[in-house]
Amino acid sequence: MRNYLVLVPKYLAAHKKRTDLAIISVALSVALVTGIFSMLDVFLRFEKIQVIHDYGNYHLLIKDASAQEMQAIASRIDVEEAGRWIELGQASINGVRCAVGALDENLADNLNIKVIAGKYPSAENEIMLEQWAVESHRLNVKINDTVRISSPDNVEREFKVSGIYNDLANMKAKAVPGVLMSIDGTAMVKPEAELSYIILFKRGVKILNAEKEIKDTLKIADGRIERNERLLAVIGQSKHKAAVGIYTTGAILFLIVLIAGVMMIYNTFNISVMERVRQFGLLRCIGASRDQIRKLVQREGLAITLRAIPIGVVSGIIVAFVCSAILKFYNSSLFAGMPLFNISVSGIGAGIATGFLTVFIASFLPARKAAMVSPINAVTGSGDIKISRRKKRGLLTKVFRAEIAMGINNAVMKKKTLFLMSCSIAISIILFLGFQVFVDFMHASMKTTKPYTPDISLTSEQGISDNLYKKLSNMDGVKKAYGRRFAYVEAAFDAARLTEAYEKQVGEIKIQDNGLFVPHENSWLISYDRNQLNWAKRDLIDGTLDEDKLNARNGIIAVMTNVRKGVTINTVNLQLGDKVYIKTPAGTRELTVMGRLRSVPFNDSRLNLATFIVTEKLFTELAGESPYQIIDIQLKKRNQEQTVKEIKGMLDSSITLHDARQKNAELDQAFLTMAVFIYGFVMVIALISILNIINTMNTSVASKTRYLGVMRAVGMSGGQMDKMVLAEAATYSLTGCLAGCVLGVMLQRALIADWLSSFRIVWRFPLAQIILIWILTLLVTALSVISPLKRIKARGISEVIGSL
Amino acid sequence: MEILRVESLSKTYGEGETRVVALRDVSFSVSKGEFVLVVGPSGSGKTTLLNLIGALDTPTSGRVFIDGRDIFTMKEEELSVFRRRNIGFVFQAYNLVPELNVEENIILPLLLDYKKPDRQYIDELLDLLGLSDRKRHLPNQLSGGQQQRVAIGRALASRPAIILADEPTGNLDSKNSREIVNLMKLSVEKYKQTLIMITHNPNFAALADRIFNVEDGIVTELGG
Repeated sequence: MRNYLVLVPKYLAAHKKRTDLAIISVALSVALVTGIFSMLDVFLRFEKIQVIHDYGNYHLLIKDASAQEMQAIASRIDVEEAGRWIELGQASINGVRCAVGALDENLADNLNIKVIAGKYPSAENEIMLEQWAVESHRLNVKINDTVRISSPDNVEREFKVSGIYNDLANMKAKAVPGVLMSIDGTAMVKPEAELSYIILFKRGVKILNAEKEIKDTLKIADGRIERNERLLAVIGQSKHKAAVGIYTTGAILFLIVLIAGVMMIYNTFNISVMERVRQFGLLRCIGASRDQIRKLVQREGLAITLRAIPIGVVSGIIVAFVCSAILKFYNSSLFAGMPLFNISVSGIGAGIATGFLTVFIASFLPARKAAMVSPINAVTGSGDIKISRRKKRGLLTKVFRAEIAMGINNAVMKKKTLFLMSCSIAISIILFLGFQVFVDFMHASMKTTKPYTPDISLTSEQGISDNLYKKLSNMDGVKKAYGRRFAYVEAAFDAARLTEAYEKQVGEIKIQDNGLFVPHENSWLISYDRNQLNWAKRDLIDGTLDEDKLNARNGIIAVMTNVRKGVTINTVNLQLGDKVYIKTPAGTRELTVMGRLRSVPFNDSRLNLATFIVTEKLFTELAGESPYQIIDIQLKKRNQEQTVKEIKGMLDSSITLHDARQKNAELDQAFLTMAVFIYGFVMVIALISILNIINTMNTSVASKTRYLGVMRAVGMSGGQMDKMVLAEAATYSLTGCLAGCVLGVMLQRALIADWLSSFRIVWRFPLAQIILIWILTLLVTALSVISPLKRIKARGISEVIGSL
Repeated sequence: MEILRVESLSKTYGEGETRVVALRDVSFSVSKGEFVLVVGPSGSGKTTLLNLIGALDTPTSGRVFIDGRDIFTMKEEELSVFRRRNIGFVFQAYNLVPELNVEENIILPLLLDYKKPDRQYIDELLDLLGLSDRKRHLPNQLSGGQQQRVAIGRALASRPAIILADEPTGNLDSKNSREIVNLMKLSVEKYKQTLIMITHNPNFAALADRIFNVEDGIVTELGG
């Protein structure tokens, strides 16, 4: 031995189990930090691609830009790409309603417009059409065909189809073909059309500063500039309220991740030093100075960190890799450019920095404590633990059996250990609950497809014949076809059931003597078949959706929310059992509210008093025989194109076919991109938390080896020892759980109320999550003490007591 | 009446070159109420012998009968119950539970046995050990001699048939040592218990009924 510090590797090697536990603890924290930060980094890269795909690759849009303004902006050094976009709005092409616009060709790619066949329109009389529109049963044109486009002022002009471009999901679902013409062409159709100038800045440009500069030098009014906020948000340059909310939430949570890392390591080091008071005392006895002990402990920390950091960093990278792999697997075309292994420098940097910093902090205090150990502790057997407070005991033994009382006592007496252990568990729970707000955010801000989302919808003003409905239902490739009828009826009920919000919108409401009001507006009556009633169950607040019961008892289902002028409000406050009186040609019918729905998956552009749903049978009785206005179709997975072709063949030109498949797929895709990472965050945190609890309990039990040996010598049986250790572990877990849940719920509430309110997320008490947390924590605690206990029991008592 | 019988007890540690024979074919028997002293040089196998009698360790071969029962045939659960009712330990390093006060440490074996402590007996014990005015103290507030007396109290609490003491006076000065040994002798006489004690102190020989000498794992009885 050349130096006393040689003791460090010797000690670490001699206590392999203990060393491994400490390494695992540090590795877990490093993995947590590296994983979460790498995921964030990779997530932003993926999300940027997704946002560019969904919203376009540009930063600013200037409305009504003049020629000088465009000239000035285009010549700026920080502008990568800029071009014009002119929206002409609704028009019709060969009699079919369409939307017309024009875009400079250099921006086509940025707005995800890709020419599939032919060429981009350049001459005044050239246009380009979406692929689905070209193939549509109502349009059916080819390249070089001549089409007639009539503008809103009803002037009809002839154009030549010069090219075909990719389908735009929204247009396809709305069944409105998008027509692109050349910029020059627009002058012919509508010379005064509004022109927008679209700008993409170069990488690294401070966009908001550039925006301000442009605004100041060109004197552009505020209302004329629009930002592509989503893209700005993803590249961290948005000052939009919503984006700032997300940034702040993220910053708070990632700060907690760092704190969690520190906590976890500190806890392990503290336990490890506490159990070795005697060893340090011994070293002090033989002449080690306080400084030397401190150095010893710090060196030990360093040795452990050096071994733990690579493990943690690699695990963190793997986590980010799994996320990338899932996304690339599900959407290989969109994410083709993303490498499978995304090395996140910031993630790894954060992991390594936390590892070192934490070990430095975490070993600093225990090292000081170790240095404080008095040499006397080495020779007096039981002076290991300083007990600060005398407390009234005996109460516990009255309530619990001796071993359980002792277990609890062990945990409660050492307040610092209790505090650290609980903190270590609590912070994991806080993180878990905190990151849950992102799940809420995701569900609130992103649309997803529901089981009732149709692939294809057929609509017709004149109605769709029963015959066609039957034919569609029986088609091979159709999974389900379900029709809806609707009608506008005069419905009245107890005036007290109208909400204030509604009264505010419509003003004075006349109330009759019998308590019913005189309706100002009609209500929307929708028919549902058995399938649709079934699907609506997920939105059912209370009552029943049973078709037979509704038919038998004249039941009506009230929808609690109503969309008026694009805003969702509650117009009525009907309760189960309320009577609703509907005027029919054959007189007023009395119906009973038998079910209440939160919402329906579609809305109406008219102003309605309320929305009601009835069965098909009751609908016929109330509104008379009428054809379906909408038929929704879900297709089987196989041969969809063939089926769609067949359906098209059955339709006459009065029926519009809305193909929502691409839109649904894109919604799912956008949701998935976010979901993979957000669930990834939550899962990584849950996993690390579980491993952390297991590791902490392991360390805690391992540090009691000798104590447990003495207890066994005194006559504690194996079962009693299990119970005692379990009681102690449970005390840590329960206090940790309690603190974690209380603080976590508070954090959740604060984050949602203060930062995410712009997403209309409503905070609800996370009961299910909390129950899950309690069950999981207790289960993990119980499981985590099993193996160290087994190990201790496997060793002879004399062997355990004999060891210092 | 025979309380302890040891039959051809052997214990070896390790394998191959590191193989150490700690006990070789040891047989003896002890009657109820006897005070047996175990002496011998360091590393001779004394502690191994005591650990085996107390079932803190398992032998390589041989059997130990306490009160007629073969302790190594018992299952772990059964053994711990048997141990807490029939065997009391006194260690050189006291091994008290630091979180519990004097009285609680003493009654711990009873609590573990789910018995209500006999107040009168415990008070008597505390009195005998001179700990009556210290019963609310924690171990770290006591001197070494006092701590060892608590350990003795703990060993006596469940009125075991046998008390095994491994150098109980090893950490104490001669005055305290004599007091402790006297106390142990007094109590085993009073409660008709058997005491087997390892010691290096030759002065205690006079107090013992029998003396076993252990050397190189072989046990011989001196002066018997």
